[in-house]
Amino acid sequence: MATKERKILVAVDEGEESAYALSWCLNNVVAEINSKDTLVLLYVIPPHVVYSALDGTGYLFSQDIITSMDKYRKDVAETVIEKTKKLCKHLQDVKVETRVEVGDPRDVICNVAEKTSVDMVVLDSHGYGLIKRAFLGSVSNHCAQNCKCPVLIVKRPKNVAATSTT
Amino acid sequence: MKVLVAIDESEGGLYALKWALENLFFNHETATPGAEGSPVITVVHVQPHFQPPHTAIPVGPVIFATPAVMDSVKKAQEESASEVVSRATKLCEQHMIKPEMMVIRGNPKEMIVEAVEDMNADILVVGSRGLGQIKRAFLGSVSDYCVHHAKCPVLIVRPPKSSGK
Repeated sequence: MATKERKILVAVDEGEESAYALSWCLNNVVAEINSKDTLVLLYVIPPHVVYSALDGTGYLFSQDIITSMDKYRKDVAETVIEKTKKLCKHLQDVKVETRVEVGDPRDVICNVAEKTSVDMVVLDSHGYGLIKRAFLGSVSNHCAQNCKCPVLIVKRPKNVAATSTT
Repeated sequence: MKVLVAIDESEGGLYALKWALENLFFNHETATPGAEGSPVITVVHVQPHFQPPHTAIPVGPVIFATPAVMDSVKKAQEESASEVVSRATKLCEQHMIKPEMMVIRGNPKEMIVEAVEDMNADILVVGSRGLGQIKRAFLGSVSDYCVHHAKCPVLIVRPPKSSGK
């Protein structure tokens, strides 16, 4: 029987959790040989924080600072994409695409998943407790509820955190 | 790879099972039969404990559940469980995969998480009823609970919207 073509969207960020999620996905979901899968790596640049949530002060930045902040965020995006592409290097048959978008990660991930009509979205979970979730919001929670396609949420178990990922 | 699929009587659970069979096991046929690493699928159906009506509302007419009522409810639950099990088994056979079936009674959220731990599952697949924000707060969401507490990655499969396809 022919193998099925699947498009898998993996949302990555700077944290170690998403590197773990990606490597778990590569080990368990994507077949190494004989696979027609497409892997889409998505990095979302969060929008500028103009108003700090807790104390309500607004920030007014000069144009120079804004441009240097933008450049810094673009550099971070490129580094993350390079690092994750390296993790995928050993896959021979799998096509790897990368995307960088700007916006609120929750909405961007759902939109990109719809636009590229992926079969599955893979997210890492930062393991926020109840209070952090209330303040910071949970990307994985929101996506699981709003994405039209199945969502795989990978939590990094605590005993793996101590060892380094190869 | 050990896959645990949690289903209930709703269509969402069976859709999750169908999706898992179609998408997680595609390389089952290309691999040699009985090879190491061929996926093992376990289907779990958790039946909530029957809540006798007299515990629900402290005020108002109290209905005592007579033994006859309890028996008939138990029988109805067993029938519905066996129907779910047979539908799931049929679905798995269509994809040429032999599943292990488990039926547990208890609180669905906790039982599913416990089953993941006992079996050392590699991935848990749950359907999602698509509850809105408010319903989630009141009814509680099994898939939410599983994501927070299960030891392994959780795949949440939402049923496709029937309109606008």
